[in-house]
Amino acid sequence: MKKSEWSDREIEELLRKMPKIQDYRDPRDIYQNLSFKRRKSPSWVLPSIAAAAALFLVLVLGPKLFDGGGRAQLSLDKAGGEKTVEDKSLMRKNETGANKITMSSMDKNSEKRAPELMKSAVYDEEVGNGKVITYWIPDDQVQNLIPVSMIIKDPQNKSWLDLFNEQMERLNEDGWGLTDYYPIKAKFSLDKKNQTLDVNVPSDHPYGQGAANEKFIDILKKDIASNSNLKKVRLFTNGKPGIEFGNYGNIPELTIEPEKNHAFLFYYPNKNESPFLVPTIESFKTIKDALIAMKKDLPDYGLKKSMMFELQEKDLAIRNKTLHVSVKKDSKIKNDQQTLFSYEALLLTAKEFGLEKVVINDAPLKQIGPFHLSEENKVPIAPNLRNIDY
Amino acid sequence: MDSVFDELYKKYHHDVFQFLFYMVRNREQAEDLVQEVYIRVFKSYTRFEGKSSEKTWLFSIARNVAIDYFRKQKGWKDKLMEKFDWSTNQVKDDYPIPEEITIQKEEIQWIYKCLEYCTVDQRAVVILRFIHDLSIAETAKALGWTESKVKTTQHRSLKVIKKHMEAFYEKEGMHSEKVRVER
Repeated sequence: MKKSEWSDREIEELLRKMPKIQDYRDPRDIYQNLSFKRRKSPSWVLPSIAAAAALFLVLVLGPKLFDGGGRAQLSLDKAGGEKTVEDKSLMRKNETGANKITMSSMDKNSEKRAPELMKSAVYDEEVGNGKVITYWIPDDQVQNLIPVSMIIKDPQNKSWLDLFNEQMERLNEDGWGLTDYYPIKAKFSLDKKNQTLDVNVPSDHPYGQGAANEKFIDILKKDIASNSNLKKVRLFTNGKPGIEFGNYGNIPELTIEPEKNHAFLFYYPNKNESPFLVPTIESFKTIKDALIAMKKDLPDYGLKKSMMFELQEKDLAIRNKTLHVSVKKDSKIKNDQQTLFSYEALLLTAKEFGLEKVVINDAPLKQIGPFHLSEENKVPIAPNLRNIDY
Repeated sequence: MDSVFDELYKKYHHDVFQFLFYMVRNREQAEDLVQEVYIRVFKSYTRFEGKSSEKTWLFSIARNVAIDYFRKQKGWKDKLMEKFDWSTNQVKDDYPIPEEITIQKEEIQWIYKCLEYCTVDQRAVVILRFIHDLSIAETAKALGWTESKVKTTQHRSLKVIKKHMEAFYEKEGMHSEKVRVER
C-alpha cells in the first residue's frame, strides 16, 4: 500500500526490507585480481605497451588505408552501419530492463540532488574517547607545509608522543599527493620534569641539506605545537648536542611558540581532488585582513582562494569568542562541496584568532552539508582529517 | 588461495560488498572498492590484534575506502555537467538502478533513491543500522564515533529519507493512485 507519510519506524522497516546484495564473482577471481594489484607494475609500463601497439598498428595499417581509397571508405561505412543497428538494439534492451525507471521526475531537478558533502576537518563530536594527532607534511613542491590529522580511536592511555611515533610510519603521503617525508629518522624522548622534548638524529641523518629536509626545523616545531604544550626542544646528533643544518649551522635548541593568525586557503594536490585546507605562511594583524586574504589566490605558493562567501567585512563582530559575520544579501551560496570546504576554511581561520564559534547572520542559505549557518558552529579541533586503517 | 583471504571471504565478503554497494549505489564500483578493502586488510592484518570484532573492523575499513572514493571523485558539479544531456535537457543517470531493486515494490525503490540524498555519514549509519542490523554500539565501533553521534546521525538520516519519500509520493505516487491526505 502506498501512503503519503511515514513514521521513523516504518522507514526503518522499509530499510530492513532492502534486498540482500551479493557479489556474483568467483572468489578465485577476486583473489587473483588482488594478487595482481599487490604486485603492481610501474605506472609507465601499460601506457608504453599501449603506445607501442598503437604505433605498430599505424605502421601496418596506415599505408593500406591511404592506398585503398574508396574501397576502404566503403567498408568503413558498412561497419558503421552495422554498429548503429547494434547500438539501437542495445538501447532497446536497456529500455526494457534496468534503465526503465532511472529517470524519475525528481532526478530531473538537478539542484535538488544532494551531493556527497564531506567535512574535511576534525570536530569535537567525532573524536569521542579518541585522540587527534596532526602531522605537517610538505606538499609535492615542498613549498607549503600541510597539516594532516587523524583520529586514533583507541589510544589506550598512550601519550601523544607514543601515538605520534606509532602513526608516523603509517602516513600515506604519496597517496595524498604530498612529499614522502615521514617517518622522521630521529628518536624522540620526553623530559617530563623540564617539559622538554629531546630529538636525537643519527650521524648519517638526511636533515642537513636538501629542499625537503631543510624544512625539518619548521616541521618539528609545527608538529610539536599542534600535538603538545611543550615549549622547548633539545636537538642531538648521535647523543651529542646540536644538529648541523646547511643553512643555519649547528642548532642545539628550539623554542616552540604557538603560531597564530594565519588565513586558511585551498591547496589542490592534483586537479579534481578535494583540496587540503592550508594556513598561509604570512600571519595577519586582524581577522578582517585574514578574511580578505582568503579571497585571493596565492600563485607563488600554489594556493587557491578559499572564500566563496561574499562576506561583509565591515559588519564583522566578535562577542564571547564568537565571530559574527554577515553575507551580502543577494549573494549566491550553494549547498555544495566547494562551499562546505570554504565554510570550514572560515572556521579554521577564526580558530587562528582564538575564536571558538562562528555565526553567519542573515545567511541566504540555511544549511551547507551538516552545518546550519545561522547557528553557532564550533571551530574544528584540527584540519584535514585523513583516514589510516589501523 | 590464501587462508586469511579464504576465511575473510567466507565470513564477511557479502556483508562488506553489500555495504559498499549501498554506499556507492553501483555494482561495478562496489566490486572495485571491495578489492581495495582486501588490499588494506592485508596491509594491516598483523596490526589488527583483535582489538575490536573482525566485522566492525572490516566495516570501518570499508567505510574509509568509500570515503576516499568519494573524496577522489570529481566535484559533483563537474560530474553533473558531464552527465547533462543538452539535447534533452535531462540528467543522464549512469548509475542505473540495479535489477535487485527494480523487482521490488515501489516504496523500496524510493528508499533506494532516497539514500542518494543522505550525506555519506548518514548513509553509512542507515546501512549499518538497518540493512546490516548492527546495534548502536557496533555501529559506533565501526564508524569510530560515540553512540550519541550514531543516534543523532540516524535521526537526521531518517528525517532526510522521510522528506524525500514524501516528495516521491507526491510526484510519482499521485499519478497512479489518488489517496486523500488528511493532515
